[in-house]
Amino acid sequence: MKYTAKKIVLMLVTMILVSFLTYTAFELVSGDPAQAMLGTEATPARLAALREELGLNRPFLIRYFSWLGGLFTGNLGVSFSYKLPVWQLIAPKIEVTLWLCLISFILITVISLPLGIWSYRRSGKIWDFMHTAFNQLCMAIPPFFIGILLSWGFGIVLRVFTPGNLPDLHAHFFDAIRYLFFAAVCLAIPRSAMTVRMMRSTVIGEMEQAYVRTAISRGNDRRAVLTRHVLKNSLVPVVTFLGQTMAELIGGSIVVEQVFGIPGLGRFLVASISNRDYPVVQAIVVILAFWVVLTGTAADLVNQRIDPRLRLEGKR
Amino acid sequence: MLEIKDLHVKFHNRDREAVSGVSLTIEDGEILGLVGESGSGKTVTAMSIAGLLPRKQCRTSGEVLFEGYNLLTADRKILRSLQGKKIGVVFQEPMSAMDPLMRVGEQVGECLRIHTDLTKEERRERVLKSLEEVDLPDPESVYTKYPHELSGGMLQRAMIAAAIVIRPSLLLLDEPTTALDVTIQAQILELLKRLNKDLGISMLFISHNLNVVRKICRRVAVMQRGELVETGSTEQVFFHPEHPYTKHLIESIPTRDKRKENA
Amino acid sequence: MKKHYNGYLIAGLIISGIIIIMTIIGMFWTPYSPTAMSGAAKLQAPSLAHLFGTDNFGRDIFSRVLKGAGTTLTIAVATVAIGAFFGTLIGANTGYFGGIVDDILMRLNDAVTAFPSILLALLIISLTGTGKKYNVILALGIVFIPSFARLMRTTYASYRNANYIISARLMGAGSGRIMMIHILPNTVRVLLPALTIGFNNAVLAEASMSFLGIGVAPPDASLGYMLSDAQGMFSVAPWYAVCTGLVIILLVFGVGLIGAGMQKQGSGVN
Repeated sequence: MKYTAKKIVLMLVTMILVSFLTYTAFELVSGDPAQAMLGTEATPARLAALREELGLNRPFLIRYFSWLGGLFTGNLGVSFSYKLPVWQLIAPKIEVTLWLCLISFILITVISLPLGIWSYRRSGKIWDFMHTAFNQLCMAIPPFFIGILLSWGFGIVLRVFTPGNLPDLHAHFFDAIRYLFFAAVCLAIPRSAMTVRMMRSTVIGEMEQAYVRTAISRGNDRRAVLTRHVLKNSLVPVVTFLGQTMAELIGGSIVVEQVFGIPGLGRFLVASISNRDYPVVQAIVVILAFWVVLTGTAADLVNQRIDPRLRLEGKR
Repeated sequence: MLEIKDLHVKFHNRDREAVSGVSLTIEDGEILGLVGESGSGKTVTAMSIAGLLPRKQCRTSGEVLFEGYNLLTADRKILRSLQGKKIGVVFQEPMSAMDPLMRVGEQVGECLRIHTDLTKEERRERVLKSLEEVDLPDPESVYTKYPHELSGGMLQRAMIAAAIVIRPSLLLLDEPTTALDVTIQAQILELLKRLNKDLGISMLFISHNLNVVRKICRRVAVMQRGELVETGSTEQVFFHPEHPYTKHLIESIPTRDKRKENA
Repeated sequence: MKKHYNGYLIAGLIISGIIIIMTIIGMFWTPYSPTAMSGAAKLQAPSLAHLFGTDNFGRDIFSRVLKGAGTTLTIAVATVAIGAFFGTLIGANTGYFGGIVDDILMRLNDAVTAFPSILLALLIISLTGTGKKYNVILALGIVFIPSFARLMRTTYASYRNANYIISARLMGAGSGRIMMIHILPNTVRVLLPALTIGFNNAVLAEASMSFLGIGVAPPDASLGYMLSDAQGMFSVAPWYAVCTGLVIILLVFGVGLIGAGMQKQGSGVN
């Protein structure tokens, strides 16, 4: 319980730190939002009025906290380029990106966990070499390169989906998922390779532990040693890794959305960076970072359920 | 009850045989001591009895006869039916020999789960009884504890409880007291003696410490570099050692008198 | 044991060596001018005259790839150098001295690593301005500092109370001397594989950013930028994307093998 509370406090501290750093950074470079919205032709009177309206005359810390509060109430300011509330612009895009990452995450788990267990049995020299080489190869392929090939092969040649035209998630759910599936595959390939590798080395490492010998000495067969003892002990680093995977997927989605023309957060972020639409960039960056912190904490809490030793000491 | 005939074990990645030509018998109900410095092959001998030698990584010859089977060549299924049920093992470091993520009670009852059809409740009863037999205070709470919540001495008792819960006929003890404090060491030795007497379990007690062996065994075998150099009653080996290595071992035991001599 | 694992190192050195040597040659000489257009030689498939074919302006893709790989390589090396240098500096000091500075910096480190690396790089780029090579180096360099700092911190912390360090301290060696002469050589074993991983991440990150159009912009052309260019003409000139992509893959694959080889050799020695 204490551990849980500690982790959550730590998470909140990190979130505040992250958002504060981001907010400050943008405050420093973005200049005057009123000027940005009205353009250089604006009269001083109109500028002053808008500044008052946007609350720019308030002290920095007050503005930061009201903006932070806006993250939860949906009041994140107004986009420079669209002149629309930021939240209204990004809310539908969050859903798209979330689905993309979720499908990819499921793919990674479904592919790599069984493969990791399977591959630990094949630990001879030749297997070891093939395994490492294949792994390095998978990690060397940029997701957007596979993306180019897949979107051409399945989109243009086979016409499984129409690149650049994501079906509506609510009206045509399965069509949309099919579209997102190919993008998710690109994201999943390098990360699956990494997961298999870390899974394999973890299981091999656990197999050398003394408790495995004890388990065998009691008459457990190979399968029972694996399922009853080794897998549970291998789980902690794997869960941590899967937590980080969520973070990596968020990063990877930015690029893959571009390749497949998926109107998600990442693609909007890139466009907004090019347009110098700071309120949008700021909001998206912080939302993505919060998501990362959240999944990391979730992984820690899951691990604490698995390994009772983590409950004792707050530190890892 | 157990007979080892001319056992040879050679690991592929070593030049020298780990065990070369060991013949030994363990009589019904006795505690046989197996002494030697580290690397003398005593643990490998025990592992070949327990069926824990990685068969792919070593070559064996000779016979280890137990209940009519040669454990070196027996089918894995037969081996597994003996492991835990007829032959229990207690290892040196209780902290690492226990699965850190499984409750102690469940680990103690593991042999029952594998080898019997008892229900969960019946198993629990047996485990609690076994924990009591090894003098653990408050078995109910030990049952639900994780290994890291117990001290080394308590864990070793739990390991012994796990080994005897199903009443094996042979218990292999691989340096069971080496990692423990001297006072706890003495308590564990007493416990083992009592279990041997009350339950009639035969034991193979491995140690590099002759003093410990003298306290618990009536018969002792001495190993050096994979070979058996001397076997006999404890008294005989101790007071009239025949082999120079045994003499050397006995001389190296620090006693009060010797320290005086040196001073 | 040792002999066997060298296989990774050798294979990695050969693969990445070829690409790196070609790239370095490409910095000084290319078969065609990478910017020379030719109406007669538009969209040609790979041939002896044009190894990787030509693009829609008739430019020789092989020459462009050589040039682009040069940009990518420069950025990756510079980025890793920045990350490793400052990371080591920060990690060594916090790990060796510990204390409250260590706590604060590690908290900050947590906050920074909350951003996926590409997101952090985008954030910094959006603050400094897009399309300039040096901004890309700066952004990615900053992104790589925390991971190196963390690695070096644990390494230095583990040596802080080693017996030979304590004895050096008792003999009157200053902290700076201990960190530089007594500990730094010991970190090479963990630092070298980390450098290869960092290099690969830098190549892939730069490629991603340029692909997104917020990394390197013309007249500089990196491999990532060329890939985004190539995606648009995949149906008419698939060789463009495939050849450019293969160069990235082989480079990262080769360096990755070197890292794997070093790691295995390191664990074999110990």
